[in-house]
Amino acid sequence: MKRFVLLFTVSLLPLAAAPRVVALPGKSPLVTLRFVFTTGAASDPATQPGLAHLTGELLGSGGTKDLTYKQMLDALYPMASSVGVYSDKEMTTFVGGTHVDNLDAFYSVMRDAILHPGWRADDFTRVKDDTLNALRVSLRGNNDEELAKEAMYNEIYRGRPYGHENLGTGAALEKMTLADVQAFYKAHYTQANLIIGIAGGYTPEFLEKVKKDFAALPAGTPDKFDMKVPEPVQRSRMTLIEKDTRSVAWSFGYPISVKRGDPDYPALLVAQSYLGQHRESAGRLFIRLREVRGLNYGDYAYVEYFPRGMNRTEPDPNLGRHQQIFQIWVRPVEPPNAGFALRAAMFEMNKLVKEGIPEADFQRTRGFLSKFVNVLTKSKSAELGYAIDSLYYGIPNYNEYLKTNLAKLTAADVNRAIRKHLRAGNLVIVGVGKDASALQTKLLSSEGTSIQYNSAKPKDVMDEDKLIERWPLGLKPLDIKIVPADSVFEN
Amino acid sequence: MHFKTLLPALALLTAGSLFAADGIFPYPWVQEDLPNGLRLITIPNDYPNIVALYIVVGTGSRNEVEPGKSGFAHLFEHLMFRGSPEFSSEKYQAVLQSAGAASNAFTSDDLTAFHTTFSKEDLPQILSMEADRFQHLAFDQPAFKTETLAVLGEYNKNSANPNEKLYEVLRETAFKTHTYQHTTMGFLKDVQAMPNEYEYSKQFFDRYYRPEYTTIIVTGDVDPKKVRALVDERWATWKRGSFKAAIPAEPAQEAPRAAHVDWPTPTLPWLTVAWRGPAYSDDTAETVALDAIARLGFSRISPLYQKLVLDEQKADAVFGSGPDSIDPELFGVTARLKKAEYLPQIEQQIEATAAAFSTTLIDAKKLDELKKHLRYEFVQSLSNSESIAGTVARYVALRRTPETINRYYDLYAKLTPEDIQRVAQKYLIDKNRTVVSLTGAGGTK
Repeated sequence: MKRFVLLFTVSLLPLAAAPRVVALPGKSPLVTLRFVFTTGAASDPATQPGLAHLTGELLGSGGTKDLTYKQMLDALYPMASSVGVYSDKEMTTFVGGTHVDNLDAFYSVMRDAILHPGWRADDFTRVKDDTLNALRVSLRGNNDEELAKEAMYNEIYRGRPYGHENLGTGAALEKMTLADVQAFYKAHYTQANLIIGIAGGYTPEFLEKVKKDFAALPAGTPDKFDMKVPEPVQRSRMTLIEKDTRSVAWSFGYPISVKRGDPDYPALLVAQSYLGQHRESAGRLFIRLREVRGLNYGDYAYVEYFPRGMNRTEPDPNLGRHQQIFQIWVRPVEPPNAGFALRAAMFEMNKLVKEGIPEADFQRTRGFLSKFVNVLTKSKSAELGYAIDSLYYGIPNYNEYLKTNLAKLTAADVNRAIRKHLRAGNLVIVGVGKDASALQTKLLSSEGTSIQYNSAKPKDVMDEDKLIERWPLGLKPLDIKIVPADSVFEN
Repeated sequence: MHFKTLLPALALLTAGSLFAADGIFPYPWVQEDLPNGLRLITIPNDYPNIVALYIVVGTGSRNEVEPGKSGFAHLFEHLMFRGSPEFSSEKYQAVLQSAGAASNAFTSDDLTAFHTTFSKEDLPQILSMEADRFQHLAFDQPAFKTETLAVLGEYNKNSANPNEKLYEVLRETAFKTHTYQHTTMGFLKDVQAMPNEYEYSKQFFDRYYRPEYTTIIVTGDVDPKKVRALVDERWATWKRGSFKAAIPAEPAQEAPRAAHVDWPTPTLPWLTVAWRGPAYSDDTAETVALDAIARLGFSRISPLYQKLVLDEQKADAVFGSGPDSIDPELFGVTARLKKAEYLPQIEQQIEATAAAFSTTLIDAKKLDELKKHLRYEFVQSLSNSESIAGTVARYVALRRTPETINRYYDLYAKLTPEDIQRVAQKYLIDKNRTVVSLTGAGGTK
């Protein structure tokens, strides 16, 4: 597949602090720009969770020295282009795309948003208020599934730099000032932290100009993250977030020591895909929980952070992390079946760890991933994003890296990696739903949690259900805490 | 400016013997009808390796005419993955998996679309397997009942978002007769009653999963002649049906309507102000004029957005959208407000902004900027084979040909301030209006 033998050039620090550049020149009249700063929530000061995110948002939505935000919107409108920004623990990404007709005009706005921010007080007030609403209303109030996932991440990484929501906490955001944001910008928006990405039909001269312009940033030193491993999960623990909802959303997981580029990454990717490829119907969890039992809308597994999964079929690139977790996402379940669904997911996890992946399934899953990687990088913008991540993780271009390493794998390799890195117990579990106390009682009851069906099921399913109903959760009363939704992410 | 001049690289593609697009759509396409009524649209492009296949069935929640049967088009989006005698659901999934395919489906008012993106060498096998399930879908009653629970699960996961409820109540309030009264998910009571409707489900499939309702779209690194041969081989045996749904017309609205939703948990208040609008049209200025009003009046460059969101900071979202459905639907403006006390004033300002389009001609310069925006927006949206097929699918639901895209954008290019005023005077009037608000429990923190 020659498409993926890329014309992708990487300049690796020719000068001590010059930004790294990932360039994918091509014939397309569309040009994509990605400016990735390797800074994020893991660099938030301890008392100011959310500062990195707020800084990125203000740059993206706060206007430039020359243009108010209103003028910026008006200027970009005829080009149908915009400056997007998103941030995670170790990366803050500015992304924009435009037609080559408008490249110079678009670029000058995007550049000034990053290099010459407007720093206006009314924009700061608006952006801070939007962030508080994103945290309290959109995430905590209106998205039970993402709430469960994000709360689980915080719980797993408590006491570590990853241990707070990227958006911050309500209390810390309330206190944040424009001066705080400016100080963060000065310290972290440096050449040493910058990766410039560009793809499409630009000219070499244009790229030279971009490099020259961004050389105006202070040289700086790269952000160094405190990568102390997360606290081991010695026994399972559960947080139930009390909220008046129609159904119960679950997520559970634990830290793993494998990230992209590590020897066991391709093997764990096969395990993840076999157990629960995101938003596809072939994973074990999907088949056993949804297709066979009708428990919910879907059930998936992850070895890398994948936010906004309810709206996306493929992950955003540029969410690079030095530490990852293994995670299972059980989509909302009708309350009477909530306990059974959780146990069924744990049952499947246990089966994977104990029995491994059968040879035929291994072959099929490996084949799937070797081709699916083309889908992941189907647009120039995604291809560019993956190339930037590959630079960050120190691997060749993702397609080649994955195909080459998948080709070398055997089922035995995958099963060894599963036994080494995955387990079915000692989990951090988060549920969101109403009547949390009744759910807690039910989960702890010696009677187990049964399932109600609306149709007859084959004997093998009924037999398996008997095992699932009483599957040990490994939880004692003190292992379950109930918290009101409006307290989550507040402090 | 003719759009193709904006696209030096893509414009080259329009040369040649294929049925070349002559408007905004930058790719030539081949459109063919099989004798059984099945339509095939093939769009070769220069995005290498990947092929996107969309199979669009011209039935959606609009076709759910019987009381108590809302949500069935969407249920079929699910049931179509339940297998056939030749390909059980497990075997079907195994084939997709070995192709490394990304596969999914979606339903709207007017269509049900099944889409798969994969490497080009797998096209013959996937087209053949799809032909099998469209002609020989087989699901027993227990499988049917289990799938209805997955649909309820989908309703449940959507229910966390107040905007879904706002839209549900808007539809129920604005329509009394037409099937646009319910959303694509269907009324909750109907979703909950689905498990008992096995027999009806077979009837629904028999009516609508027919070649004359179906259009296959193939985009990517493909040869149209070869695609046609593959389709002839497996799809030509599909039998034409005869059913035509009698969609009840919605009587004219005689007076403004309103409704309110009390949301059980804390959230910011929402407001939607909607007017009864026309059906999608690619031969009059009505649809494009309302789209222009939505953008000029209520998008991020509009004075109202900039006042409410940027200057006064009383709302954090304001957006409008025009109707683009087979039958007359709604022009709507939605806002998320920072305080419930702003509801009356913001409703008044939305209505005043809409009314101003009837009384004042818009600035021609603003309209020109919008036209420029649209052209770039459109070409930038076609960034890969999947997005090309997805865009075409949406229009195929309306007119069954990509040509309607060219017609629509051509009308847009000719749109005048006078057209906009005339259309506003016809539709954005008091008696056509429905307002729905939503406020959360325990204040609006």
